[in-house]
Amino acid sequence: MIVAASARNVAIVGGGTSEWGERDATWKDLAQEGGKATFDAVPGVGPDDIEGLFVGTVQPERFAYQSHVAPMVAELLGIEVTEMTARTELACASGQAALRYAWLAIAAGQLDTALVLGVEKMNLGREHMPEMQASMANVLDREFDGVNGLSAPPFFAWYAQRHMHEHGTTREQLSLVAAKNKSHAANTDFAQYRSEIDPEDVTESPKIAPPLHLYDCSGITDGATGVILMSEEKAREVTDTAAWITGSGQSSMAGNSINNLPSFSGWPQARKASQNAYEQAGIEDPLEEIDIAEVHDCFSISEIIEYEELGFCERGEGGQFIEDGRSQIDGDVAVNTRGGLLGCGHPLGATGVSQALEVTRQFNGDVESDRQVDDPTTGLIHNLSGSGSVHSVMVLDRDPQ
Amino acid sequence: MTDADTNGGNTERERVSVPDEVELPRLLDFYELQTEDQTQIHEFYENLRDGQLTTTQCTDCEAIHFPPRIVCPKCTSDDLEYVDLPHEGELFAFSEVRGGLPMGLSEHDVPYVVGVVDLGPVRLSGRVDDAAYSDLEIGDPVSLKIVEIDGPTDEERVFYRFEPQDGDSR
Repeated sequence: MIVAASARNVAIVGGGTSEWGERDATWKDLAQEGGKATFDAVPGVGPDDIEGLFVGTVQPERFAYQSHVAPMVAELLGIEVTEMTARTELACASGQAALRYAWLAIAAGQLDTALVLGVEKMNLGREHMPEMQASMANVLDREFDGVNGLSAPPFFAWYAQRHMHEHGTTREQLSLVAAKNKSHAANTDFAQYRSEIDPEDVTESPKIAPPLHLYDCSGITDGATGVILMSEEKAREVTDTAAWITGSGQSSMAGNSINNLPSFSGWPQARKASQNAYEQAGIEDPLEEIDIAEVHDCFSISEIIEYEELGFCERGEGGQFIEDGRSQIDGDVAVNTRGGLLGCGHPLGATGVSQALEVTRQFNGDVESDRQVDDPTTGLIHNLSGSGSVHSVMVLDRDPQ
Repeated sequence: MTDADTNGGNTERERVSVPDEVELPRLLDFYELQTEDQTQIHEFYENLRDGQLTTTQCTDCEAIHFPPRIVCPKCTSDDLEYVDLPHEGELFAFSEVRGGLPMGLSEHDVPYVVGVVDLGPVRLSGRVDDAAYSDLEIGDPVSLKIVEIDGPTDEERVFYRFEPQDGDSR
């Protein structure tokens, strides 16, 4: 990976979010709520300042019967895009994809100020849940995998089964992840699930795709979250406490359908993506250097595998890592302080943006005290997407390099 | 404002309508359209209809693909041929879907088992019929079966599934 010597530093200067959950609101309502919350949270930056607009969203065509949504957002928020705009789609990593494009555009000197907005409208009414499930099954190869009724819960259940089979990971360890994250969300005011739960509650919830129970799964969520990215010169004019993007990596391994995935107990793509990001950020020992990690816990097993692939522990030791409390807020690395996807819900395109906002707010000491990490300086966001065929990692720091 | 603008008076509003049902392309039922005029991998489906699971192999670099292709992802050759795959394999991973069926499959019975089957040359996902989650273990031998798909198209469509080999499940 070569980072051009001329690349400019890029900061996330702040952002805001709509309420997440089952919302009585349309896709356009959510986009406006998320946009307003973002501008309200960043004094000194308004729609007139935005030169680039990147909208992360996965299936507005199916969920809201609407395409070409980036210019729609521009109109709704009064943004005259002068440099660059697009909607990004990378399934569950669409928000991070939008962040990555905005970062690159600013780093390359094409523009100075960008709005990244993630939006998803997923709840169409309980009676239309099959439509939502169909849209989710289509993120796999529809012709050969989705066709088998392979939705997300059984797919990730395979990873839990294989990880237990190969490494001795326990059902209790899965429950510890779910209980940690859902309980964190009790301290997050926009989260979909705001109740503390015990590990026993997880195995008492319905077994929807064994070995996974309902509480091992993230939600079906409506929501929108935005952040504003700026070049260093512009960022210095509006804030002293930005989150600087110091590294960003992605990896896919020419495998998307079941036959072509490299593993069913690990994600070498996450290892590769994080190594790329670490190299750019100058991180040699991720466990030592990263204080807060917002990782893609779409299912409890995902977080256990991610401890391993992101370099916090050896392969096979992710279960022990949560059991030893090392990913707690006061542990070696605080993982999913806002409650993760398990607690906050997962409005697909908004998730990566919300993760970046959490790290930014943690740096600023601007979250509920119960979930505040003690003086964090380095953070990470991670998303997987589709069949886990792509992994995206971004490193954030309180100081530019 | 006038009465006509607000409809506060006697003016009857014009009514417009939408269809009671909207017919969508068969694409939305998950199963691909399988004939020669619709897909260039129709030979895969024709072979399956004749009782044989096949896939493509590159005649230039000999790579075996699954799913079948029209271009080899290893060497970009388009000189591919269909080769037989084994109909027996081992269960590599599995789970059981107990609810939340996608539209287009919503007439299927839950619960059902969906797993990864290792056939040797390839590893593919598939439904495992005639078995419950509690009956199965990693490594269990399974056999291919072929199902015909009833549906609103004139075309006779087929697909593959698996079932336990010992036949004593459930």
